[in-house]
Amino acid sequence: MRWLKGAYASLAVIFLMAPLLVILPLAFTSSAFLTYPIPSFSTRWFIELVDNAVWQRSIVNSLIIAPSTTALATVLGTLAALGLRGRVPFAATLRTVFLLPMVVPAVVMGVGMQVLFVRLGLVNSYLGVILAHTVLAIPFVLISVSGSLAGIDRRVERAAESLGASPVRTFTRVTLPLMMPGVLSGAALAFALSLDEVVLTLFVAGPNQRTLARQMFSTLRENISPAIASAAFIIIVGTVVVTALLFLAGRGWQRQRRS
Amino acid sequence: MTGRRNRRRAALLIAPLALFLGVFFFWPLATMLAQSVSDPAVGRVLPLTSAAIADWDGQGVPPPEIQRAFATDLHEATDDLAVGDMVRRLNSAQSGFRSLMNKTLPAVREDVDVDLASLDRKWSNPAYWQAIRGAVSPLTDRNLLATMDLERNAGGEINRMPAGSSANGAIILRTLVVSAIVTLCCLLIGLPYAMIAASVTGWRRAVLLGAVLLPLWTSLLVRTAAWFILLQDSGLINGMLTGLGIVDQPVQLIFNRLGVVIAMTHVLLPFMVLPIYSVLATIPANLMPAAASLGARPLRAFWRVLLPLALRGILSGVLLVFMTAIGYYITPALVGGANDQMISAVITQYATGSANWGMAAALGVVLLALTLVLYACYGWLSREDAVRLS
Amino acid sequence: MSHSGIRFDNVSKAYGNLRVVEGLDLDIAGGEFVSLLGPSGSGKTTLLMMLAGFEDVTSGRILVDGALVNDIPTYRRDMGVVFQNYALFPHLDIARNVAFPLEMRGMGRADIRQRVDRALEMVQLLHLRDRRPSQLSGGQQQRVALARALVFEPRVVLMDEPLGALDKQLREQMQLDIRAIHRRLGVTIVFVTHDQQEALTMSDRIAVFDKGRIQQIGTPREVYDRPANRFVAEFIGETNLLAGTVETAENGGTAVSLSDGTRIEGRSPAGLARGSAALASIRPERARLHAARPAEGNALPAQVTDILYQGSHIRVDLKGADGQLTVHLDRSAGEPAVGAPVWLGFAPDDCWIISP
Repeated sequence: MRWLKGAYASLAVIFLMAPLLVILPLAFTSSAFLTYPIPSFSTRWFIELVDNAVWQRSIVNSLIIAPSTTALATVLGTLAALGLRGRVPFAATLRTVFLLPMVVPAVVMGVGMQVLFVRLGLVNSYLGVILAHTVLAIPFVLISVSGSLAGIDRRVERAAESLGASPVRTFTRVTLPLMMPGVLSGAALAFALSLDEVVLTLFVAGPNQRTLARQMFSTLRENISPAIASAAFIIIVGTVVVTALLFLAGRGWQRQRRS
Repeated sequence: MTGRRNRRRAALLIAPLALFLGVFFFWPLATMLAQSVSDPAVGRVLPLTSAAIADWDGQGVPPPEIQRAFATDLHEATDDLAVGDMVRRLNSAQSGFRSLMNKTLPAVREDVDVDLASLDRKWSNPAYWQAIRGAVSPLTDRNLLATMDLERNAGGEINRMPAGSSANGAIILRTLVVSAIVTLCCLLIGLPYAMIAASVTGWRRAVLLGAVLLPLWTSLLVRTAAWFILLQDSGLINGMLTGLGIVDQPVQLIFNRLGVVIAMTHVLLPFMVLPIYSVLATIPANLMPAAASLGARPLRAFWRVLLPLALRGILSGVLLVFMTAIGYYITPALVGGANDQMISAVITQYATGSANWGMAAALGVVLLALTLVLYACYGWLSREDAVRLS
Repeated sequence: MSHSGIRFDNVSKAYGNLRVVEGLDLDIAGGEFVSLLGPSGSGKTTLLMMLAGFEDVTSGRILVDGALVNDIPTYRRDMGVVFQNYALFPHLDIARNVAFPLEMRGMGRADIRQRVDRALEMVQLLHLRDRRPSQLSGGQQQRVALARALVFEPRVVLMDEPLGALDKQLREQMQLDIRAIHRRLGVTIVFVTHDQQEALTMSDRIAVFDKGRIQQIGTPREVYDRPANRFVAEFIGETNLLAGTVETAENGGTAVSLSDGTRIEGRSPAGLARGSAALASIRPERARLHAARPAEGNALPAQVTDILYQGSHIRVDLKGADGQLTVHLDRSAGEPAVGAPVWLGFAPDDCWIISP
């Protein structure tokens, strides 16, 4: 029985992890095909990403769009999470409504945004893509920040006020540091989501706003090359680095506050 | 006093997001809804005809006033793009309109009083006039009807489209079937997995949960690309199968239903495991020992105690996976074949390929409605949970 | 109806290198109420878990009615268990919770109903039979758990700190209720607790645990008045411990000279050798205070440092030659003044001398 459990769990873990483990080494293949075995290791596909004008452009576009999305979604989501924290009428309904972008299929949003953005002149613009990505990212920020806010014991804030801290000081010295992990993970999620987004980009972006994910998508459909694995590697590393940086920044900021 | 101030502060904090989502989320959705029933192509170019033809009973050839209004409209139509839209729209309702208009337009532009029936005998055929009458309204249900392979005939009755002329019904059915298969696979793999994860502790639990969360944090595109690599004819799985001598020829794993199910099951499995696990984790650890001490064999204890308690998690997982699956685009688009494309792919095709936004929007409405119904069920389930806990 | 005796024969339990129970022997007679008392981590709960079949025995044998149960799965051991947090099934109502063990035994519906109602009546909860566990108070849940563990007339009932989550008043009421039920049904009960007052109140015998071993097994009187060692003396009740050297030891009458030369007389178990180090244990409520040195019995000079009113008695803290001493006085006894020099007197029968 125990043996069976272990075997089952191991197989399931392999099923879950295999794709991730398979794709990363191929980023360093010297072959022109996305297949194993890898003849020898090389960085030629990373060089391709940087040298090829289309890939290069897509990386730059992602570097413009993802941080902007992160900033916008984090600010809007964090403010709303703070607002929803108190005793607000219809708080539950509002929360459900704000989470809808996570539920509505991206393609459905895409059709509506395409038609509307044409009318508003936002189609084929960076702003249009950023706004679209922000809509998608907001629920993740909201959930993340609300989660960390729910974990804060209200008595801690009351204690701060009883010790003479004004509401503003209570917020900056107690609430904000305590909610920071939620804000940062919300920001990291928003960044990862924007970096990975394909469907809305397909609908609202023009050829000049092609993101890295969008470029990977067409490469997968049209002419498969190991550049995909290299791009995947960059996306994974990019997500990890941004998450790490955000958390380091958060810690530095807290340490500074403490001293 | 402070209550009111707090409420105002809360409103101020919430307002930016509410405004933002109102403009960039709900407005697009409303636009899509409007698009699915809007049909301005003909009425826009033929304003006088629209007014005049409303009173016509549809029998025989319309009276001269209507023909006169029609000729005047055409004579004054200068926007070639709009005229092109109108011709396309009319031709889709009644074939032969394109050539008819190619003949009629130059003649009418030259002389507004030309006799239409002598210009082309088709103008004596009531079917063409009925097509115009059916198309002048700015609102239409033909796109919504078409999602279910229905259409209106010349008399306005709803009929089933001739077999083979529309695949929308089949595609919606296929979407539901594929999603159901994926949901079932996720349940069969995910339920035992969640149970094992909840029953172990320490590093074992960390590994099992990490294996679910890590893919969830990894880019969907990266995961789909990885399945592409694994499943292709020269991929690792086929390499292993031929290497072990299980098969002589590579098995077709990609660009078919099997590939779609494998890849989507992988992508959606976390959405099954996590709700079940989180419910199992709240079940007190001593309930199963208690059941055993009261004389319940392991299987009965599972059936009578664990399963009923986990049921909400299982239902949540099933709804979540199914709801996400029906709207999926990327994975079927990349690892599926032409016969595995789901509703999202067809919507994308209509919108970005053939610029038929009316049809894209109508299918979007169907998908949205399905999703929202499932989400409402899901929300109801979790609210029941919250009520029960309080 | 005869009730089952339990025998632990050299039972050990180890998790890797961590030995939780070490070579433990214990006999429990049929119908007896035995408490396993000890601090957390002393192995008492582990022993209960092994008896219930939730934990494997590393070595040794557990016998119930003379039959080895080591390898019998829990669901066939026929032991009622009352868990620390009750472990009621949240998805079943009270009646279904109590009916669960009867359903598992394939009993007919009419029988089940009758038995469930009788069990719920016994714990005075019949009127709540259709409620869910979450709608009940802690004390009510506790009683449901008790009914569920008794309804199938198990051979043995095991209770793992069942009253730990209740407030003091309710806990004391439940102690009396459980005692009454035990007396009525005569079922063998093994009761794990870390609360010495609870163990003294309820048990026929108490097994005091520390570090995986039984330090002493005996009636409440024995473990309180005649503790086997320092751990038992300190763990059960309050006590004053005075260090000294054995001067004479003959058939129960033992004399100890304290570090300042004072000689006190007491009782002791056999085997204390002359000249060996010893501890004299004097319970605070057995000592008296005197203004002048009393003529009879032992006497120690001391100075009052604090007086605390405790309702049922008055606690007096004293500074003696060897450190702090505590005496509990009746409220009727005269109160000394703080700072006053006094004599602390006690009879040799109330002075129990053990090896340190």
